[in-house]
Amino acid sequence: MAEIPFPLPDLGEGLIEATVLEWLVAEGDQVERNQPLVEVETAKSALELPSPQAGRVLKVYGAPGEVIPVGDPLIVFEVPDDAAGIVGTVPADGAPTRRVRLSANLDDD
Amino acid sequence: MAEAMAPATRELSLQQALNLALSELLAEDPKVLVFGEDVGALGGVFRVTDGLAAKHGSERVFDTPLAESSILGLAIGLAMAGFRPVPEVQFDGFAYPAMSQIVTQLGRMHYRSRGALRMPVTLRVPSFGGIRAPENHGESLEAVFAHVPGLKVACPADPQQAYTLLKAAVRSDDPVIFMEPKSRYWQKGAVVTESADWAGARVARVGRHLTLVAWGAMVARCLQVAELATEDGVDVEVVDLRWLKPIDTESLAASVGKTRRAVVVHEAPLTAGLGAEVAQRITERCFGTLRAPVERVTGFDVPYPSGDLEDEYIPSIDRILFGIQRVLEYRRG
Repeated sequence: MAEIPFPLPDLGEGLIEATVLEWLVAEGDQVERNQPLVEVETAKSALELPSPQAGRVLKVYGAPGEVIPVGDPLIVFEVPDDAAGIVGTVPADGAPTRRVRLSANLDDD
Repeated sequence: MAEAMAPATRELSLQQALNLALSELLAEDPKVLVFGEDVGALGGVFRVTDGLAAKHGSERVFDTPLAESSILGLAIGLAMAGFRPVPEVQFDGFAYPAMSQIVTQLGRMHYRSRGALRMPVTLRVPSFGGIRAPENHGESLEAVFAHVPGLKVACPADPQQAYTLLKAAVRSDDPVIFMEPKSRYWQKGAVVTESADWAGARVARVGRHLTLVAWGAMVARCLQVAELATEDGVDVEVVDLRWLKPIDTESLAASVGKTRRAVVVHEAPLTAGLGAEVAQRITERCFGTLRAPVERVTGFDVPYPSGDLEDEYIPSIDRILFGIQRVLEYRRG
C-alpha cells in the first residue's frame, strides 16, 4: 500500500489558510475521485473540497473550527500499490467484444 | 543478495517490473542515476520509482525542477562525466520542451565527438493514451523519436518485456528513448528475471493467415483480435516490434513471408506514422508474395482527444477487424 498526502491547496488567489467547518468523510472511508471531502471556510467563502483521487482515508487533520495553513497536511490517502497512479484512471480490463465478423476464402492458402 | 536469490519467475505488474529492473540496475552499477519530476520522494506518479530513493539513496534517485530541457541537459552532462543516467519525463507531452536537448545533443554527441563521448542515457517516457488523462498526457511520439539519428527507441508491451527491455536499454552505451505504455502499468504477468531475450522483435502469437504488427498497448489488443479471428477461421500472427528503432526488418520479413498479409496497428496519427515505415520495409522484402497492400489501422490526424473520445481515437477491436477484412478481400487487378 502507498500513502499519498494531500496538503491544503490555495483555494483562492493568495489565500494563506482555511478553517475546517465539517468533515464529510471519516478515517477508514473509501472515497472516489471528486467526492466532497470537507467543508472549509476561507477569507472569501465557504466551500466543499472535492477529492483529488480515489483511495481509503488514512488520516484527516483539523477538527471543526481549527485553522489549517495552506500547504499543511489536510488528508492522507492509502491506495494499493498497483492502482496508485496519480493522473488518469486504470483502464477496465473486461472481456473483449466485437461487432465485425471476418469473411474470407482462405481455401487457396 | 536477496534479489540474486529471489525465485526466477515472479508475478508482477508492468509498473512493478520496471521498479524491480531499476532497483537491480542501481544495485549492479554505481554509475546509474535515476531522476526526474517526482521520481524521488513521491516515487513517481505511476509508482515506477517507488522506494528507490529510500533504498539506493537520494543522491542517486532524486527530484528535479519542473523543467524538462534541464532534465535532459543534466542527463547529457552526467553521461559526458561517465555516469549512466536514467531520467524520466513525466508524460509524453512534456517531452516537447526537451526536444532540442534530445535532438541536437543527446542524439549527436557520440557522432560529433567522433566516438570520444558516449551517451548511455535511457530516457523513460510514460507514453500513449488510454487512461482518461488530460491534454498532453496521451501522445504517441515514436515516429518523432525514431526519426532522430543517433537514438534507439524501445517500447515494452507487457511486464516481461518491460523488465527485459529496460535492462537492455540502460546497459546500452547508446541513448535509448524508453516508451512505457501507461495504460498497461497495472497489467500483471509472469516475469522471468534471467530472461536474455531482448533483441529485435518477438512473435507474441503464432498464426498462418495474416500478421498484425504492433507495439506498446496495442499488442494486447491485437492478441484479443487474434483470438476473436479464430471464431471466423482466420489464424492471425502477432508480432510485437519491441524496438521501434532500429526496426527488426528480418523478423517482419520472416513473419509476413509466411502469412503473406500484414496489418500495422498504432495509436499515433496515420500520416508519417511509424506504420508507414513498417509497411514499406515489409513491402520491400515481401512484394512478390504479398496478397494485398499492407494495411494500417491507426489514430487519426488530429490532436489526441480528451478522455471521453479516447475510445473513438485509439484503434478498437472492430477497427482492427475491419483492417484485417480489407486485406482478406483484396483482389489484384
